[in-house]
Amino acid sequence: MKPTRTLPVGLLFGWVLLGVLVVPFVALTVSTSPESVRSGITNEMFAPALRLSLWTSFVSVVLAAIGGTPLAWWLATTRSRAAHTVSLLVQLPIVMPPAVVGIALLETFGRQGVLGPALSLFGVSIPFTATAVVLAQVVVAAPFYVQAASNAFREIDPETLRVARTLGATSRIAWSRVALPIALPGLAVGASLAWARALGEFGATLLFAGNLTGRTQTMPLAILSALEADIGLAVVFSLALALSALLVLGALQLVPVAVSRRRSQRS
Amino acid sequence: MLRSSWRFGIVLGLGCLACAPESDDVEEIHVFAASSLTDALQSLASEFEQEEEGLEVVLSFAGSQTLRVQIEQGARADLFASANPDHIDALVADELVSDVQAFAFNSLAVVVPLARSNAPETFEGLVDAERIVVGHPNAPIGQYTLELLSNLERRHGRDFVERVRSSIVSEETNVRLVRAKVEVGEADAGIVYRSDAVSSSRVRAIPIPVESNVRAEYSFARLRDAPASDVATAFVAFVLSERGQRVLELQGFAAVRP
Repeated sequence: MKPTRTLPVGLLFGWVLLGVLVVPFVALTVSTSPESVRSGITNEMFAPALRLSLWTSFVSVVLAAIGGTPLAWWLATTRSRAAHTVSLLVQLPIVMPPAVVGIALLETFGRQGVLGPALSLFGVSIPFTATAVVLAQVVVAAPFYVQAASNAFREIDPETLRVARTLGATSRIAWSRVALPIALPGLAVGASLAWARALGEFGATLLFAGNLTGRTQTMPLAILSALEADIGLAVVFSLALALSALLVLGALQLVPVAVSRRRSQRS
Repeated sequence: MLRSSWRFGIVLGLGCLACAPESDDVEEIHVFAASSLTDALQSLASEFEQEEEGLEVVLSFAGSQTLRVQIEQGARADLFASANPDHIDALVADELVSDVQAFAFNSLAVVVPLARSNAPETFEGLVDAERIVVGHPNAPIGQYTLELLSNLERRHGRDFVERVRSSIVSEETNVRLVRAKVEVGEADAGIVYRSDAVSSSRVRAIPIPVESNVRAEYSFARLRDAPASDVATAFVAFVLSERGQRVLELQGFAAVRP
């Protein structure tokens, strides 16, 4: 099939948009120098922040997938008012300014929050810890995963599963051998979006987890801290964050490609 | 139906023309100010506007460093009010601002949440606080806090400072975030500017012994391409006047004029 040709005017708008999206990052790269990169990556905030950002966002995505996959399946296969309401509630953190999420988390897990006093009876205190960093990331990132995953599950033809059942598969096997592989590319896209969002999370972390090098200072917070002293340093930190995000997005989006290649090799 | 809504639109449009402010009569100045000046400059601006009819002060608040970057990148403003002389010095060196004029001093204070019973009662009680929040060393408030801690080391001993340091759970990027963490009761104590302690009803201020305290200096600098320089002169004069300085004192600052 010949690809449809885009209208020249539409194409122009597309290029302009691409420029607006990409030029700022190119400008960041151009505005830095090898010396500032060197002083940036040897800065005392750099390594702890990058390490913290990478492992907390990884944990957040795993948690989002563990809880989000069954939730998304339920949302995709249920047609009730309850499912519709739950779906709206899940999307809420996407539209909320992250600062509001941060305040809401404090009102929940803080000392004067809804659950805070009960947790403190067990000696658990979440604010200003890495747990708080993860929690903030899960709240802002999981909706992206659930959204993409339920879209992916909706794409599955219910007939396929029914056929699998008639061929003797238990419902669990039908789900894991049939539904999951079909939805996997969609789940991978969801996970990559959620990971990127968790990596960039800033506002909720700032309020809920605070900002302490090596403990709760993620890369976005280190960028803000660097900005107070030296914009060149902040630029180097930003480039490192952009690079990590690109790697994460790229790596996760390779998963579906690899899976489909393996599947086509098998058949 | 269509015709009447059409007519309604015209009436509405004309009405808005009539009610729009006559911008010719109002002269504006734009002031970039450090976030710790928020309350003080807002009341100074409204008193100035009352006194000088037809003049308007438009305020824009952010961290001093952020404002400095904006000025370096060509932001249009008339005055820059910085919490840290270093930023002004850098802009002076680049010939972007001139006519530097100190207009207020500030000092530091410990704030504790009103709502918590086990918050420190005295300055010495700071060592028993479980969670202390301070400013990040890159922000002016964090610099002044470091200065304070080294003064304290001399007066109260290394042990006192080490115990305080070990309770620090967060280094916030601006002073209002430090205070907010204390206001919501998440931190047992925070180190902020005295003016921030005075302007919140949700925290209690514990004074820091004068001999260890530090002095923060606030200055105005005039932007080189200031569009409304006459109004800027008038506003600076108002802030330095007895009345202006009294407003600053009420907000917890110290006057530059005795």
